[in-house]
Amino acid sequence: MTNLHRSIGAAAVIPLAAVALALIFPNQQAFLAQIAITALVVLSLDLVVGFAGLATLGHAAMYGAGAYGAALYALHVWAEPLTGLIVGGLAGATIAFLSALMLMRSHGLTFLMMTVAITQILYEIVNKSRAVTGGDDGLYGIVMKPLLGVFEFDFYGRLAFWYAAVVLWLVFLLLRHIVASPFGLTVRAVRDDGDRVATLGGNIFGHRVALYTLSGAIAGLAGALSAQTVQVVGLHSLSVTFSADILVMLVMGGAGRLWGGLLGALVFMMIHHYAAEIDPVRWMLFVGAILVAIVLFLPKGLFGGLEALVNRLRGRAPA
Amino acid sequence: MTTKRLLAATLVAALTCLPALAETVKVGVVGPFSGPFSGSFGEPFRQGIETYVAMNGQPADGIEVEFIYRDLQSPDPGRARALAQELVARDGVQYLAGFVFTPNAIAAAGISAQAKIPTVIFNASASAVVSQSPYYVRTSNTLPQVSVPTAQNALDKGYTTVVTAVSDYGPGVDAETSFVKAFTEGGGEVLESIRMPLSTTDFGPYLQSIQLKKPDALFVFLPYGPPTFSFVNAYRDNGLDDAGIAFVGTSETQEVDLQSLGEAAIGLETGYFYSAAHESAENDAFKAKLAELYPDAEPNPATVSAFDGTHALYEMIRATGGEADPDGAIAAIAGASWESPRGPISIDPKTRDIVQNVYIRVVEQEENGRLVNREIKTFEAQPDYGAAQ
Repeated sequence: MTNLHRSIGAAAVIPLAAVALALIFPNQQAFLAQIAITALVVLSLDLVVGFAGLATLGHAAMYGAGAYGAALYALHVWAEPLTGLIVGGLAGATIAFLSALMLMRSHGLTFLMMTVAITQILYEIVNKSRAVTGGDDGLYGIVMKPLLGVFEFDFYGRLAFWYAAVVLWLVFLLLRHIVASPFGLTVRAVRDDGDRVATLGGNIFGHRVALYTLSGAIAGLAGALSAQTVQVVGLHSLSVTFSADILVMLVMGGAGRLWGGLLGALVFMMIHHYAAEIDPVRWMLFVGAILVAIVLFLPKGLFGGLEALVNRLRGRAPA
Repeated sequence: MTTKRLLAATLVAALTCLPALAETVKVGVVGPFSGPFSGSFGEPFRQGIETYVAMNGQPADGIEVEFIYRDLQSPDPGRARALAQELVARDGVQYLAGFVFTPNAIAAAGISAQAKIPTVIFNASASAVVSQSPYYVRTSNTLPQVSVPTAQNALDKGYTTVVTAVSDYGPGVDAETSFVKAFTEGGGEVLESIRMPLSTTDFGPYLQSIQLKKPDALFVFLPYGPPTFSFVNAYRDNGLDDAGIAFVGTSETQEVDLQSLGEAAIGLETGYFYSAAHESAENDAFKAKLAELYPDAEPNPATVSAFDGTHALYEMIRATGGEADPDGAIAAIAGASWESPRGPISIDPKTRDIVQNVYIRVVEQEENGRLVNREIKTFEAQPDYGAAQ
C-alpha cells in the first residue's frame, strides 16, 4: 500500500513541479521549456553514465541527430510535431545503435575517446553539408503545425513548455519502470560486476547496446523538442561542450538516480541563468565556485545530499 | 477651501505628470559579455552604447533609456530565444539589440516578429538575418558587402589571378563565395579556393602550396585573434610578399588586433567599413569620448556598429515618443541616413540593412609607433550584395 502511494506520489512530482514553475516564472516559459528539454537529455545521459557506468562525452551526437532529424523532417516532409518527435527519437536511436556496435567493444578511456570522436565526426559532417544543414549559420525556417491539430506554438513559449514537460513526464514514468525491470537490474549488475554477469550467462554486449540505443532515442526526443520549439538548430547541439555541460549537470544532481538528473538540470540551469543575469560579465566565477562547493561537500550530488538531509531529519542513519 | 482645492488639484496634476516625466524605455542587449568573445564583441558593444549615451544624453525630454545586458557567450539558439522571450515578456523591453552569432539572431527573430519588437543587429553578418523578422535592422555589415568592393579593387589594381584562403565557417564561406563571384565576373581567374579548418594554427603548408601556384594575389578571410596573427606571420615568413603575391583581406587588420599584429602587418591592404584613422569630425568626437570613458579601449568596427545601433534606437524612440509603436519605429529608421564615425551610412528602406562606404586601407606606422589603417580609396554606398542570393 505504501509502495503504491509512493509511486503515485513520485509520478505526480513532475506535473506538480511544472505547475509550480509555471506559476512562479509566468513570463519565462521559453526558459522553462529549455530546462525541461535539458532535463530530458540529462535523464537519457543518466542511463549511460549512472546506470550502465559508462562515462561519455559524446551524448550530443544523439541529441543533435534528433534535432537535425526533426528539423529536416519538419522542413521537407511534414511539419506535424508528434510524428516529428518520433522521427527525432528514431534518429537518436539509429545513431546510438550504430555507434554502440563499435563503442561497446571498448572500455574506460578508450570508450570516452571514441564517444568524443563520433560526436566530432557528426559535427564535421553537418558543418560541411551547408546546403542541407546550413552549416554554422544553423538550420532555420522551421514553422510547426499546431500540436494535435489544435494548440498553436506561441512566442511566449507556453505550449513549448507544456509540450516538453509532458514528454519529460511520460519518459520519466517509462524509465522508472524500465530501471526497476529485470532488464534494468541486469544493466546495473553489468555495471557493478560485468565478469560475474558473463559467468552467469548474461549478454553484456547486448544489454549495453540496447541500453545505449534506448538512451539515444530519448536524447533524440529531446533534440526534436528543441528543434520544434526553438525553430532553429545550430551546431551547438552536436558539440562536445554541450556533452560536457549535461555531464556536469548529471554529476551535480547525482548520477545513477533518475531524480538526480532532473534536479541537476533544474538547479544548474537556474544558477547559470540568474548568475548571468545579476552580473553578465563575471558570473562564470560564481558558477565555478558553486560547482566546486557541490563536488566537495555533496559527493553524491544534490539529490544524494537532499536524501541524507531528509534521513537525518527523520533520525535515520544515512543510507 | 479654495487653497485646499488648489493644492489638491496641483497634487493630482503633479502625480499625473510624474509618470510622463520619468518614462523609461527599456532596451535588451544580448551579446557575449563574458567568455572568449567578450573582448572582440561584448565589451565593444557596451563601450559603443555607453559612448553614444554619454555624447547624446537622453533621446528626448522626459524619455529615459535603460539598457539591460544579457550574456550569451556562444551560438546557442535555444538560449537566445529564451533570453529574448524573457526580456520581452518579463522585463518589458520595447527594443532588442546586440546579437553576434547568426543562429542566435535567427532564433530571436521569431520573438521579434511575433511580439513586434524592433531589434537592431550589432553584428550577426549572414545576409539572411535581417529578412527573418520585419522588425530587424542591421548596423554592422555583411561579408558580401565588403568582399565585392574588395574584389573590384583587386581587379582595378590589375590582378588577374587569385587564390582564396578562408576559414571554414559561415562568414568565411560567405566571403569566399561573393569574392569569387565578383572577381570572375570582372574577368579575373580564381586558381584555387581553399577552406581552412577554424582550429588551424600552422598555415605554412597552405601558404607553400599557394606560392607554387604563383597567383597575383591571395584573398583571405580569417576570424579575429590568434589565427590572424599566425597567418600574417606565415605569409611573411614564407616569403609570399617577396614573391609578389599581394595580400587582399577584409577584417584581418581591424583595430582590435592591429597593434598585436606588429610590424608584419605594415603594408597589408584590406577592404572594410571602419578604420579608426577615418578622418572626420564625427570620428574624432567619437574617439575622444571613447578614450575619456575607456582609456584602454580601441575603437573597433564592433564598437562603431554598437554606437550606430544606439543611434538607430534613439531615432526610433524619438519618432515614437517613447511609446510602444513598432511599426512607427521601423518606419522611422527604414530609409534614415546619418553621418557615422565610419562615414555616411543609411538604412535601406526595403531590406532594413545597412548601406555604407567600403574603404580600401593600407596599414601604416605612425610616428608614435602605432599602426593605423590608412584609407586610400572609397567605394561609396555599398549595399549587401548577398541579399538577392
